Amino acid sequence: MKAVKRHPRLVIGLVLVAAFVILGLVMPPFAGHDPRDWNTFPKHIKPNPAHPLGTTGLGQDTFWLLSYSLRNSLILGVLVGFFATLIGVTLGVFAGLKGGWADRGLSLLMDTFIVVPSLPILILLASLLQGRATILIISVVLIVFNWPWPARQIRSVALAMREREFISTAWFSGESTLTVIRTEIFPYISSWAVGNFINTVLVAIAVESGLAVIGLSSLQESTLGTMIYWALQYQALLAGRWWWILPPVIAIVVLFVALFLVSSGYTQYATAKRGR
Amino acid sequence: MKRTMCSVLMVLLICAGIAAGGGTPVGTLPALAPSAAWAQASQGGKMTEQGTPRSETLVMDQLNGRVANARLFNPYLPGVEINNGLKPLFPPLWEMDTMKGEMFPAVAAEPLKPLNAEFTRFQIKVRPGIYWSDGVEFTVADIAFTIQMLVRTEKLPTSAYWARILKPDTRMLDKYTLEIQTVNPYPRLQQVLGTTIASNSFRVVAKHIWEKQDPTKFENYPPVTISPYVLKSNDPNGQWFLYERRPDWQRTDTAMVAGEPKPKYILYRFWGPEEKRILAAIQNDLDILMDITPESWDILRDKNKNAQAWLKDFPYAAFDDPCVRGVVLNTSKVPYDKREVRWALALATDIQGVSMATFNGMLRVSPLPIPPTTVLQKTYMFPMESWLAAFALPDGYKPFDPSYAEAMAKKLTDSGIKGVPTDRAAIRQLFGVGWWKFDTAQAAKLLQGQGFKKDARGKWQLPDGKPWTITINAPNNFEVQSMRLAFAVADSWKKFGIDVTVKQLESAPFNSAFQTGDYEADVHWPGCGVMPDVYTNMDLNWHQRLAVPNGTPAAGNNSRFKSAQVSAVLDELGKLTDKDPKVVPLTTDFFKLMVAEAAWLPMFGTSKFVPVTTHYWTGFPTAENPYEGPWWWWTGMRYYLTKFKPTGNVK
Amino acid sequence: MRFLTFLLSRLVTYILVIWIGVTMVFLVPRFLPSSPVEAMMAKVAAQGQYMEAAQIESLRNSLMETFGLKGSLFQQYTGFFKRVLLTGDFGPSFSAFPTPVSQLVAQALPWSLGLLLTSSVLGWLLGNAIGLFAGYRKETLASKALEFLAMLIYPIPYYIFALVLIILFTYVWQIFPFSFYIDANKPLSVGLIKDIVYNSALPALSIIAVNLGWWVISMKALSASVAEEDFVHFARLKGVSEPRIMTHYVARNALLPQITMLAIRLGTIFNGALITEILFGFPGVGTLIYSSALQADYNLMLGTISFSVIAVATATLIVDLTYPLLDPRIRYR
Repeated sequence: MKAVKRHPRLVIGLVLVAAFVILGLVMPPFAGHDPRDWNTFPKHIKPNPAHPLGTTGLGQDTFWLLSYSLRNSLILGVLVGFFATLIGVTLGVFAGLKGGWADRGLSLLMDTFIVVPSLPILILLASLLQGRATILIISVVLIVFNWPWPARQIRSVALAMREREFISTAWFSGESTLTVIRTEIFPYISSWAVGNFINTVLVAIAVESGLAVIGLSSLQESTLGTMIYWALQYQALLAGRWWWILPPVIAIVVLFVALFLVSSGYTQYATAKRGR
Repeated sequence: MKRTMCSVLMVLLICAGIAAGGGTPVGTLPALAPSAAWAQASQGGKMTEQGTPRSETLVMDQLNGRVANARLFNPYLPGVEINNGLKPLFPPLWEMDTMKGEMFPAVAAEPLKPLNAEFTRFQIKVRPGIYWSDGVEFTVADIAFTIQMLVRTEKLPTSAYWARILKPDTRMLDKYTLEIQTVNPYPRLQQVLGTTIASNSFRVVAKHIWEKQDPTKFENYPPVTISPYVLKSNDPNGQWFLYERRPDWQRTDTAMVAGEPKPKYILYRFWGPEEKRILAAIQNDLDILMDITPESWDILRDKNKNAQAWLKDFPYAAFDDPCVRGVVLNTSKVPYDKREVRWALALATDIQGVSMATFNGMLRVSPLPIPPTTVLQKTYMFPMESWLAAFALPDGYKPFDPSYAEAMAKKLTDSGIKGVPTDRAAIRQLFGVGWWKFDTAQAAKLLQGQGFKKDARGKWQLPDGKPWTITINAPNNFEVQSMRLAFAVADSWKKFGIDVTVKQLESAPFNSAFQTGDYEADVHWPGCGVMPDVYTNMDLNWHQRLAVPNGTPAAGNNSRFKSAQVSAVLDELGKLTDKDPKVVPLTTDFFKLMVAEAAWLPMFGTSKFVPVTTHYWTGFPTAENPYEGPWWWWTGMRYYLTKFKPTGNVK
Repeated sequence: MRFLTFLLSRLVTYILVIWIGVTMVFLVPRFLPSSPVEAMMAKVAAQGQYMEAAQIESLRNSLMETFGLKGSLFQQYTGFFKRVLLTGDFGPSFSAFPTPVSQLVAQALPWSLGLLLTSSVLGWLLGNAIGLFAGYRKETLASKALEFLAMLIYPIPYYIFALVLIILFTYVWQIFPFSFYIDANKPLSVGLIKDIVYNSALPALSIIAVNLGWWVISMKALSASVAEEDFVHFARLKGVSEPRIMTHYVARNALLPQITMLAIRLGTIFNGALITEILFGFPGVGTLIYSSALQADYNLMLGTISFSVIAVATATLIVDLTYPLLDPRIRYR
């Protein structure tokens, strides 16, 4: 209880995230059927005890479909967030510390990916994959387009840090670059990295939803974005079928709020712990 | 700092305004003069944004969205958009009456007359008294010029094609009579030069304008036309096109054939995604809608009592659209090269469930590779009923199920739908003559006879032991009926034990995959026709001479179907004219062969939801008033305009 | 001298990045299965024209020639660069052949720029103002409420948010026009500007509202952390008034990263705003890019995306060059 009082954000955020994880990762196997299949149930049924969120216009149970889509969105978000942050931070630190040609080459790479807009490339890739895009492939593409942002930020931090004393001390005492990175720099930026990770998760889910709504995501798999896509395709909004269109929208909003609470709560917690 | 920001913003806003207003190329057409508009508005009537009285303007949905180049009205350039009103600007020589299933003379005065038994010389006679919109008289010199221009300008994309059909040497007998020649015997030339489905590709251009221009570059803006409407103004960004009736509309084929076109103005307008089109129609800002989904129709029907579909009651849609949809299999790929496998897939399809899943049962079924239109059902499906019922597979099994119509009617009535017909003949006319039985046991038998086996989990394995997977190519977010059909059929086959995936593609890759044979199954529509003579389309889709290897784009026969027997019948049909009494019996033989082969799996005719709103205009064709079908995107649409009537509502 | 070498190396990077970016946009579509010829065939098929096999074949054969896609990849590449650098001509668009790409871009770009420039800047100003206030007084209820509100709006999928705005403000309460209509044939006048503002207000509002969330949240975090810094306490001890501390001490420092983000965001306005354009019928660059990618229209893609590449690269260049001016702690490197 003391923990809740002192770090309300973090705790609430973690509780919400845990709820989503349970809903998205633990529950789907209990559905008893593949929620993606069409015509399992009668269409457009309002919420009732048998179907807590009613059924969709495709004859699917909204609740189980939601939990299945949540799973895919979470997996996509976490994959992209984790790898984009990992690659971005590593390369950014490397470029910043090493300097010279390594820095120039990596900076060039980063800037190129920042400069080329991702949407047309995504459309082109969708045509290459010919609609066979899975969650994995979309994740890879999003990782490729998202690592430069943290990399660039971290690079300037690493550049600044290069001048600071404790780095020079470590260097002069003969530590290799990697060890320096690991022992001195990493703790300094780890809290930033966690924040970036969470933010990238959000960006990934948001971008995928945005693409799904115009029909560019993987429509075989179900994510929160594709759920909204199908609901719009069948005019759920205009027809007033709130139980189909609202749950995925609310899920995205609440998921964001939860992740944001965790992110800013963690920052507060970390600063409190560092005693500032 | 904030103050400087504010002033910068104002400057930017003004710059944007200048850029937007001055930067765009101004057309040569001025907007309606302010005083006239004010005068009309002051009478209390609602005005369109373009400044025309709403009660005198027919507002149509712009089918293919916003037009990239709004000044391009040259129909022979590849990038031209023809669904913004361009089609009716080029009236064809002959039009199609879809209700009767025959062509009739439009700009021409009589049908195309063959002058020799080899069908290489023909005579075209046009109606006297037709004038171009700039006052010059229309004569056959324009037709002769068009032919020469098409054949001789090699750089025009379709020039090679026209050069293969027509000879550039023509003979003008008088102002209204022209003799033309073809390179090879061509008994069906009229079908190429006139409109058979939707529109034609032979568009007569004005000699006195085009002879001074380079047709590979000429924009043709604003277009000079022999139709009763001229382009008055348009949005430079291609979102709307306003047409005005000519003061001399009597000097057009429309007036001579059908009478006075009633709307003074026609506005083609692009509203945006389907949600916005529906909202516009609910507010009576849109008179004629192009394709919408059944769900959107439900909403529109509910919110606007003036909205009207083809049928007053369920199933609302027009079923006579001239293309049949189903699943095409690439017959050059294993295991789809075996007719037994194709038959097994047909028998494994729960056609009633597919109909419900695709369009809530609002579909007419077709067991033949042609659309189940009223004319074609009368000519082929119903007369072939007894043959279909007696047809047996090699092992004696009879696959035809004539009870589809009654079963669907009962299913729909039981689920609470009102207005389903009860008369047996009406039910069969509405839902179709029947389809193949849903018999998974027989399907399994056919497969096992070919060496397929079911594994422990109940999934089918190919004869070589590998699991059987099918990928169905489907459109992504266009051709909605086919898109949903793919998912519904996939569902059906999955329950049968096949591992099916639906691959959704955008328009260009969908088309190119189909043409290069880069698919296993595809929900295309290789069966179109209006008249009893369906030779041209059947030849295009099923003759074995057009079957090319996978990887090469095909010009036809995209399923790479090879059957010497079928091709022989097609060759026979090719020698006849469309009115020959041998056409129907020979085509029936063709269908019998196609059914036995299960060349592809035709399933449903296209159900068109193209409703109208009747607040400002009435007289639209409907099931109660079927002078034509609701084919708003056909060239023949200009004849419907003579039957429309303003309701008198001005607000 | 130090500055000069930095400037030079930065400029070299700038040119290299643009060159690589454009080359990528040149190469990637050409290695994909869809080609402009096939896209055109699909478009013709979709227009509802009745064509025979021979006609389809002849059309396909001639399009290769017409589109000028003969010649090796290298020839096309060098030819493209020569043409663009010497004459600024991106060639004809394939999907709207023979309309020149520059004509299509010139038509669409001013709309996108006008809308996105104003809404981005307005959103930035408003968001940072709110965020500054929320971060400076971060313990107050108002601050928490503002942050919460921003948090709620930010993740709503833009398509839904914009659609709801349309339904509410053009259909239910008919305040704004239902469909985008500006008679651009009219000469420049107060009336035309009024039309433009009236029609652009709702799309701008939707973009501002969605961007607002991010600026509020990030500015709040930044100003909250700056407000903790020693120099702020010192200023307070010195007797500087609270409002002055907020605007002159905290804001100036917290704004630095926001300015760089804004600069880069402004660079991306050349991408247009695809969903805004689809929903509001706005004739911008986003739909051009989208349809060019869908229809494998190489020339149009290169024409539109090159602008975007140059814009973003320039934005980052300007940021890199001017950031040290704003923050004296960073040195040129």
